[in-house]
Amino acid sequence: MKRSYVIKRILYAVFIFFVVLTLNFFIPRIGVRDPAERYYPPQGAMSDIEYEIIKQFTAEQYGFDVSTFQQYVRYLNGLIHGDLGTSLRAGSPRVTELIGERLPWTLVLSVTTLIISLVIGLLFGTLAAWKRGRWQDTLLLSASTISIALPAFFIALMLSFYLGFELELFPAYTNPNMVAQFDWSLEAIRVVMNNAALPIMSMALGGIVGYSQTTRNSVIAVTNEDFVITARAKGLSHTTVLYKHVLRNAMLPLATSIGMSISGLIGGAIIIERVFNWQGMGTLFLEANSTNDYPLMMGIMLFLSAFAILANLITELFYSILDPRVTVGDKR
Amino acid sequence: MSRRNVLLQVARRGGSFMSLLKKLWQHPKGRVGLVLVGCLVLVAVLAPVLAPYDPYDVTQRVEKGLHPSLAHPLGTTITTGQDILSMLIYGSRVSLMIGISTGVAIAFLGALMGVMAGYIGGFVDNLIMRTVDILLVIPTLPLIIVLTNLLGRSYFVIVMVFVVFGWTGLARVIRSLVLVLKNSNYVKAAELAGASRWYIMTKHILPGTSHLIIMNTTLTCAGIMVAEAGLSFLGLGDPTAISWGKMLAEAQGGGALLFGAWWWILAPGVGIFLAVFSFMRIGIVMEEVFNPRMKASSSIYKLFKHMNNTYLDEVFRSMDNEESDESAERPNPSDAPLPEGSHD
Repeated sequence: MKRSYVIKRILYAVFIFFVVLTLNFFIPRIGVRDPAERYYPPQGAMSDIEYEIIKQFTAEQYGFDVSTFQQYVRYLNGLIHGDLGTSLRAGSPRVTELIGERLPWTLVLSVTTLIISLVIGLLFGTLAAWKRGRWQDTLLLSASTISIALPAFFIALMLSFYLGFELELFPAYTNPNMVAQFDWSLEAIRVVMNNAALPIMSMALGGIVGYSQTTRNSVIAVTNEDFVITARAKGLSHTTVLYKHVLRNAMLPLATSIGMSISGLIGGAIIIERVFNWQGMGTLFLEANSTNDYPLMMGIMLFLSAFAILANLITELFYSILDPRVTVGDKR
Repeated sequence: MSRRNVLLQVARRGGSFMSLLKKLWQHPKGRVGLVLVGCLVLVAVLAPVLAPYDPYDVTQRVEKGLHPSLAHPLGTTITTGQDILSMLIYGSRVSLMIGISTGVAIAFLGALMGVMAGYIGGFVDNLIMRTVDILLVIPTLPLIIVLTNLLGRSYFVIVMVFVVFGWTGLARVIRSLVLVLKNSNYVKAAELAGASRWYIMTKHILPGTSHLIIMNTTLTCAGIMVAEAGLSFLGLGDPTAISWGKMLAEAQGGGALLFGAWWWILAPGVGIFLAVFSFMRIGIVMEEVFNPRMKASSSIYKLFKHMNNTYLDEVFRSMDNEESDESAERPNPSDAPLPEGSHD
């Protein structure tokens, strides 16, 4: 891996981040001159003086009491100190605190989903490539059509209906006490797993199909390469060819798609979290939306973008280790 | 076959819109897709005639939670006693309207940006491709939520946001194609003959990309319909309209799951599935017709995993890897693997 390439990529990521955070600052200010007029219109027999006070209070709360430029400087200054702002909720908790509370619960879902879909997808994709044109392959093809055309939240609803309410195998809604009562005891972990089963299943379906397809295609592409034919001709066993020659080289496209799913790990489950009322980042964002809690919303947005930029950067650098041709191409 | 030749071949296969329809009709799978889309459009247009009841009319509400029967083929809702078949029929209007209008708008914007980036090059190219990079890291769904909160929950806003954030994939694909077309002999000849840039762009470059645009548009339509269903499910669509996503949200909120009203959940789900499936079918068949090298089975998944349709990029990239490119055009760094987040 060339150092110049790494530095260039990092600088570019920083540049993108700066643009994104600036956009993030200005988007909630589109067409909002006075937050009070927008979110708290004067009610009934409210006197002008009373409304003036409300206006002043909301302006301070939303940080509108100084000029836009000063607000921007204040915002940047906060970011440098790792401060994403203060939520408008009662008790004005810090946005970072709220994110910190909810993030682990989203990660429970998304990381488990990623691991499950990766393992099953890898196995099934290799199988489908090996049995190209037979029923395993056809099954994969029809599964991909269905999983693409059916929204994940519809699958979630059906699972919640059938496995949750009809068969009563798993809780159809997340137990509201799960988060509060969590204390790392075995019983608590079992409850979490039980509650997470349906959300994970509904998200994993698409993931499994996706990774299977990627694996299948790249295994087939590699199988047709000369070095694999040579290895076969040398008389190496099927398994040696598969593990040492085919799978190792078929990992490249898979690395890219893992990178893509990592950048969606945090914010990718908004709708599924809503279906099961899972107390993660997605529901936090929706709560913020329904209460016009802009500092919280924009804080989450910035966090998600930063995570995506970081994940992209890591994937790119990782990819350039796996496939040195990328750095060579970047020289011009 | 190098990437350049594949692209040129793809460009040559394109023809007039009618010949495209003819090719689709001759393909058995394409015919299924065309018939399905035609039926959907008919249903949406003729909704007031076809629907047995008026779902917007409060006086036409009947007994609540009826199972499917002759009078109510898909049953009625538990909460309001609306006829589900009628809701389903009216719901197709929202899906198709949003899907098609967004798809067409994205086709225009994406093609414009792609052709400009590819043909003019230099500063314009840089500006457009950097914008693409930035749009790709912003989480789309949260942003749409923020913007609908700011600008109001109307379908106009939703379509605009989809368009502003959805053109990137098409622009990238078109740009790759334009970079190849730019060096082809007939464009060179036109340049030597003194044709203006605008003339070359509209008369020579754009027609070469038309089939790619049409193919991309059908796929975008399908992707947008899924996304719209998700938004409506979250309660972010137009609050007065009936849409499939909103039907699902109402079903969940109204206790359809709890009381076992499967017909209430299944109906909108099947609606979404059919609509998306038929558009997808057409897109995939077009891909097969234009580029027989790409088998449907190998690309079907990539089509939809990411709404931004960067699958062609990936296909081209894999072709690049197969054989080094001999053409004068060199891929821009932004064409190198640039993973994007799947935020939906």
